[in-house]
Amino acid sequence: MILEALALLTVFLGFFGTILKKNLVMKVVSMDVMSTGVVAYYVVIASRTGLVTPIVVKTPQGNYADPVPQAVILTAIVIGLSIQALMLVGIMKLAKDNPTLESSEIERSNTP
Amino acid sequence: MNTATLLWVACPFVVGFFIYLLPRFDRPLALAGVWASIAYAALAFNHQAPINLRLVDNFGISLSVDTLAAFFILTNGLVTTAVLIYCWSSQRTAFFYAQVLILHGSVNAAFACTDFVSLYVALEVLSIATFLVIAYPRSDRSIWVALRYLFTSNIAMLFYLVGAALVYKTHHSFDFAGLSTAPSEATSLIFLGLVVKGGIFISGLWLPLTHSESESPTSALMSGIVVKASVLPLLRCAVILPDIDPIVRIFGVGTALLGAFYAICEKDTKRLLAFSTVSQLGFILAAPEVGGFYALTHGLVKSALFLITGQFASRSLDQLHRQPIARNLWIALLIASFSISGFPLLSGFGAKILTLENIFNWQEVGMNLAAVGTAIAYAKFIFLPHSPSDPAAKPQRNFWIAMAILLGGLFVANVVYYQAYTLENITKPLGITAIGWLAYYLIFRRATFKLPTIFEQFEHLLGWMGLTLILIFWMAVA
Repeated sequence: MILEALALLTVFLGFFGTILKKNLVMKVVSMDVMSTGVVAYYVVIASRTGLVTPIVVKTPQGNYADPVPQAVILTAIVIGLSIQALMLVGIMKLAKDNPTLESSEIERSNTP
Repeated sequence: MNTATLLWVACPFVVGFFIYLLPRFDRPLALAGVWASIAYAALAFNHQAPINLRLVDNFGISLSVDTLAAFFILTNGLVTTAVLIYCWSSQRTAFFYAQVLILHGSVNAAFACTDFVSLYVALEVLSIATFLVIAYPRSDRSIWVALRYLFTSNIAMLFYLVGAALVYKTHHSFDFAGLSTAPSEATSLIFLGLVVKGGIFISGLWLPLTHSESESPTSALMSGIVVKASVLPLLRCAVILPDIDPIVRIFGVGTALLGAFYAICEKDTKRLLAFSTVSQLGFILAAPEVGGFYALTHGLVKSALFLITGQFASRSLDQLHRQPIARNLWIALLIASFSISGFPLLSGFGAKILTLENIFNWQEVGMNLAAVGTAIAYAKFIFLPHSPSDPAAKPQRNFWIAMAILLGGLFVANVVYYQAYTLENITKPLGITAIGWLAYYLIFRRATFKLPTIFEQFEHLLGWMGLTLILIFWMAVA
């Protein structure tokens, strides 16, 4: 219960970070914090049934963790990683003309 | 039929990768990949019962294609074909065509899947492909617009993932049906993700800038199909789950009114079209069972409109009043504007009648107001000055082939709901259009008020997301 609450707290802290941080890179980092929270939440849910790695062996050692949320979140981690990589490349391109990377400044110069 | 479904989902992705390997054949390959989708849509229309597939086992991927989805798939195929033909002689590299095909494939996948995780994957692939297509010109502005889009949609999808986890917790599967027993938090988080990605209501205020600042073919793709990828799951949830239906309908009315209001006040052609997209998405959501036909007509007409405005000398309506447009362009514009205002003879009429017949009483006032708003907004296009086409101008064959597909589709699609042609039904849209044109002539022709764009700032978009989350949660609890 407390673990779940902490994971969700991480999600919300990350979300507020994306709003309150001014620098674009920091915004992406906040987004990463948020996705870390989501991953942690899935792991906590997977561990409700047990903690043993779900691999079939001859002598089972206690209760297995639920493999489905783990498999799902693995996909989500890969997608999150590729999205972050793309965003950082975009930010690198923007950094040439906007070295401070303040999002409000970039927005002002790029909105009609 | 099952094999055909699997092949159809995989086909655009495979073709997309082959375009990288054989860049010389990029355009023919792309076109072939898209036509496979159209052929599949035809098969799906002919197949009476819905096709349901569950891959692997109980926790595997579930796919479902019914008539509702077939309309969306057909829209996807036609719009992508038109855009590919429009770009045929535009010197774009194979990279662009590969991304368009991957975009097409991920939209198809999003239409087919009926579990939350496959939908998540499809929508995220779609975000990446859209990002690359928007950023294709590589200018600072295009990169910023694309970055803003990817950031907003990724944050929304993170909330969506938490919602999907909650569904799994109560239901032990990720199926859409699990939403019925899931807590209200799950409904609100999942809906937030879909609503933001679909550009619906206040959380969709990212849409106008993104759609208006991209190149015309990209805008046509985005308004025509990309936003619909998350609208269909919303419709599906509303059809399966009676508890959710009112929420979707309320969002439909709210979106239709908000978009129409902004569109009336807009002086920029592309922003007007973008806000009109918001408004039309509201029409699709207002009657979930019959939203497919509306989505088809809207996809065709909106991509046609974006391609037409891309041919104008200026984006500003004031400028266009001083500088007449070519008459043949104006005629294409006229057909499209008539269809979207719901004029008889074009399928926009049938779609609007079908939607208005399937809404509840409490929705009627709002939807009719939104229809008048649409008529006012498009009166701005219909009453543009025009002059005979310049014979010296270079004929743009590809543009007119694209128009023939899109506008021709609008005429042919009339067969879907030909029962709409009764005297009573015909007089009503004429009345609505007349009121709209009158209001335009008396008030809006000279009006110069401009709505602030402050709500579309990046940080406000994220703030709206928080507010929408609270709003949907409150609606789901109530």
